[in-house]
Parts: sequence; structure tokens; C-alpha cells
Amino acid sequence: MEKYDVVVVGGGPGGAYAAKTAAEKGLKTVCFERGELPGEKNSSGAGLGTRWWRDFPEIMGRLPDLPSYRKIDMIVIKVVDEENRLRLVQGTTGSDRDGSRHSGSLDKGMAGTSIYRRDLDPLIADLAVAAGAELRTSTLVTDVIMDAGVVTGVRTEKGEEFKAEVVIAADGAMSTVARKAGMRNRWGGGCTLVPQVDFACDRKKLDAAVGNAEWCWFGPFNGAYQINFSESFHLGAGQWLRPDWDTKPQDVLNRVMEIPAFRQFCWLVEAEPREFQSHMLPWLKQPPKTYAGGVMLVGDAAGFPCPLDAEGIWHACMSGRIAAETAAWAISKGDVSERALAEYERRWKASKLGDEHRFGPEFVDVWDHSIFDPELMKKLIQFLLEFSELHPFAVLFDWSDDHVNCLNQHMEHLMDIMPEFSDFGKKYLQPLSSAISPQLVRRVLLQAKLKMPLVRSLSDDLFLKILARLNRRVATALDNPRWR
Amino acid sequence: MTEFKIDVKKLVFHKEGDTGDFIKYEREKCDGCGMCVLVCAASLWSVKDGKAKLAPRYGERCMECAACWDICEREAIDFSYPASGTGITIKYG
Repeated sequence: MEKYDVVVVGGGPGGAYAAKTAAEKGLKTVCFERGELPGEKNSSGAGLGTRWWRDFPEIMGRLPDLPSYRKIDMIVIKVVDEENRLRLVQGTTGSDRDGSRHSGSLDKGMAGTSIYRRDLDPLIADLAVAAGAELRTSTLVTDVIMDAGVVTGVRTEKGEEFKAEVVIAADGAMSTVARKAGMRNRWGGGCTLVPQVDFACDRKKLDAAVGNAEWCWFGPFNGAYQINFSESFHLGAGQWLRPDWDTKPQDVLNRVMEIPAFRQFCWLVEAEPREFQSHMLPWLKQPPKTYAGGVMLVGDAAGFPCPLDAEGIWHACMSGRIAAETAAWAISKGDVSERALAEYERRWKASKLGDEHRFGPEFVDVWDHSIFDPELMKKLIQFLLEFSELHPFAVLFDWSDDHVNCLNQHMEHLMDIMPEFSDFGKKYLQPLSSAISPQLVRRVLLQAKLKMPLVRSLSDDLFLKILARLNRRVATALDNPRWR
Repeated sequence: MTEFKIDVKKLVFHKEGDTGDFIKYEREKCDGCGMCVLVCAASLWSVKDGKAKLAPRYGERCMECAACWDICEREAIDFSYPASGTGITIKYG
């Protein structure tokens, strides 16, 4: 039986990045991938935002050489009404031209990259191998080896056993390791299913039609993303796997493909569908427990995708890095017990990854109670039409900084230019209230005060004090402990 | 104008080779709710006589999303992966 310091299950971005980090720490590391090549089984959006430059420059620097690469400066939102008419085309703010600097500033919105998983996954796996990790492809892990409740290795489909001090599970939403280790079973409503179709098209025509942008389609039906690559694009749309699921996955996309503006675009760039796939994508309020004795979960296996927009590759790589660093620390201490590996959860919660999940329930709620509700979607479209020169969607689609920071920056910006936003915010963004900083809550309330003839004459402080007395939610929001 | 409808059969690619039996279905637990039928883009499931039924040669068409496992509240469906080197392959992206 072969023995390793770290066994990584899954050769996608999270697993490969964990293997790379572990090997760099001098640990004897092996990574198992069930496909003949990393990425062979994977397809996703997939766009990488600006923060990748801050956190993974060694990956970003290599992407422009890959065949599917398209540089992304902005997101264009296309909104259709109930009759499928295109009513609004809204670009989010552009980015600084070099696109290589992480920027939290509103003037330097989003910049990123579209890249196929077929290109990205092997690249990260190569970095792991270069760092000294062993990569075993065409190897399916089917079980874990347990000793007194602690995971001590894995078993493959051929019955081979591999011992490890620590197992890092990066085996996707269905995680065999998490299930076999008894950590969880079904997601029970927290996971989405994402049907996605890949269109081939004419490269030059696509350049002319989309430039450096990703597209999104919104309408009373739902929302769909259109990620533009060098000579192809993905159209995809997710929904939660819950008992109210009421249609075939592909029908969600068929609905978007009926939009005349979409069909015109396809005609223009000579697009033809050439591949279809459907994958699970956890979109949770909070990840469940991410560690147990001898094992840590990373990426989709842990349920890490962003609660605001379900972006997941950055989260996979970040959690992979933190898991491998924790493994090195635990192994050097000679303690890989559940208690020791609790350090993993402490570390990711204290990191940028933890910031992302600090307001998970509020982020998920805003989608859950609003945008996937056709009635609200109609109102939202009306709202967008009324304020079409502004860019409220940027609230949700700026990747330039960590998403919770972006949200606050954009809300603040909107308040500056559009006092009416406070009404909308009160009505529809209520679920987000605890993700909004106390300063912003204060501004929302004070702006509302100006519209009340009777209380206008009160001082701001007195007004807020009375309000906080009368309403506990206001009091909590103004004194939000989560912002400390 | 171009008109599209997704034809799953033409747009999904599989490798040769025996996938093995990777979806396990416990008939006794099934209450015939049909959610597996609805979430399966490859149309591998049907409901007959109040019980779900899995297509006999599902390995040749399954897209390995595991949605049938996740949606089944009765936990009548267990999903693992097909043998390595077999099953769906992402040909383009």
C-alpha cells in the first residue's frame, strides 16, 4: 500500500491548486482524477474576475496563450419583457485598460477572463505537477479508508488502497469522499442544476458583436448567462433542485433561445449549438461543516460557490490553498484529528473566502425571493426602464472586488445619484438588510425622512433614535454586530 | 431567423467502454413522484405503475449531473460515477 502525506481527490481547479500548494510545502502529494485528462468531465461558465490577478497571478499570466481565451472588461445585461421584446441593454462599468490590477474602485469595474475548463483545468494541474505533486488520471476513487472515525486513505475502483495523513476532497458537488466519510448526503434544496449549451460561431463576427464583454439575459422567465469565449459562447441558466422544479433543464434554455434578439445575434455571428451538458452547482447560504478527522472538503464538494452569484472557481482555488496549508500545519504538529483540522474552518472563515460567506443567507435570499419570482421580475424590468441610464445591475455583477465590498460600494453610488433607490431598496432588497453596512442603513432612513413632512424637522439623531426604539430590526441594522 | 431547440442526443458525447452500473435504484423506497423524470436532461427516467424506471442502457446517455440523486427526497436513488475513462466527455468546452 502506497503512503502519502496528502491525497487529493479530484483534479479540477480546487484539487489541483490544493495539490500544488501541498507539494510546494514539501509534502508527498498525489492527486486523483477520474477523467483521462483534468477538465475532461468539467464545463462551467466560466469567467474569472479581477481578484484572480491579486490571488492567482501565476494562473492569470498564462491564460492569454490558451485557445478559448477572451479578455473581459464588462458585463452587458439584456432585459426582455413578457412579449420577448428586448427592452433594455445595460452595460456595467468598464475596467482599466491593462486589466491586470486588482481594483476595488467603482471607476475600474470589472475585468476578467473567459476560459474553457478544458483549457483551465489542465493548466492548474500542470502547475501542480511542476511543483512536485503526482497526478494520476483515469483513476476513480470510490471509497475512503476509515480508522476509528478518522479518514486515513482512499480506495479506487480497482481496489487499490492509498494511505494518507490527510485527504483533501475536491470531488465536486456529489463528493464521494464527503458521503463515504459520513459528512453529508444530498444537498436537500441547496444545490442548483445548470443546463448549459455551447455554441460555435465565427470568431471575427463574435469579436465585432460582443467585444470584451460577457452577456446576461433577464426576463420574466428567469436569468441566463452568456459567457463569450474566443470563437464560441456558453448559454446557461441555473435553478435550485427543489420540489417546485417544474420543467426539463433544457427547456429553461429553449425559452431563452426563443428571444428574437438572441436569435438575431446567433444569425449575425453564425452560431450553431454544438454541445450540451447539465451540471450541479451548490448555491448555499452557508457551507456545511468542511472538515472531519483526516479530511477537508474544498470547492463545490464543500459548497463554497459565492452565495451572491454562484461563481465557484476562485472559491475552489482559495479553499484548496487554505486546506493544503492547514494540512502542512497539522502534519507538522502530528495531529490530524477532527479537532486539529477545525483550524481549516477557522482559517477560511478569517480569509477573503469567509468574507464572501459572511452574508450568505442575505445574498441567497435576494435571488430566492426576488429575481426568480416572475412577478417581481416584471417590476424590476419596469424599474430598470425608468432608470435605464443607471446601472443597478452592477450591484450584482461586479467582480472587481470581493462581492460584499462591491455591493456596498454600488449601493452607496446608487444612493448618491438616485435617492429613489431607497424606496426600491426598502421594498425589494430588504432581505439584504444585514449585509448592508450601518452607515448605509442610516442613509436610507434619513433619505426617507426627507419625504415625511411631519418628521422632517426632527434632528437626524433624534429621528433615528425614535425609529430604533419603535422597530427592533432598525435597531439591529443600525448596530449590526456583523460589521464589527 | 435562426431557430434552435436543444437536441440532447446530438449534443452530448460519450466515450466507448463499459461504464459499469453506477446508478442504484431502490424500487421499494420510490413513491413515484416523478421528480427524477423532470430533472433528467437525458430523459433516462420514466414512471410506470407508480414507480420510477431507469432506462436499461443509461450509461450510454447519462450526463453524470447526479440531479436524480439530489432531488429524490425518498433517497431511492444512489449515484456514483462511471468507470474511469468512460462516460460523458466534454468535447468542446
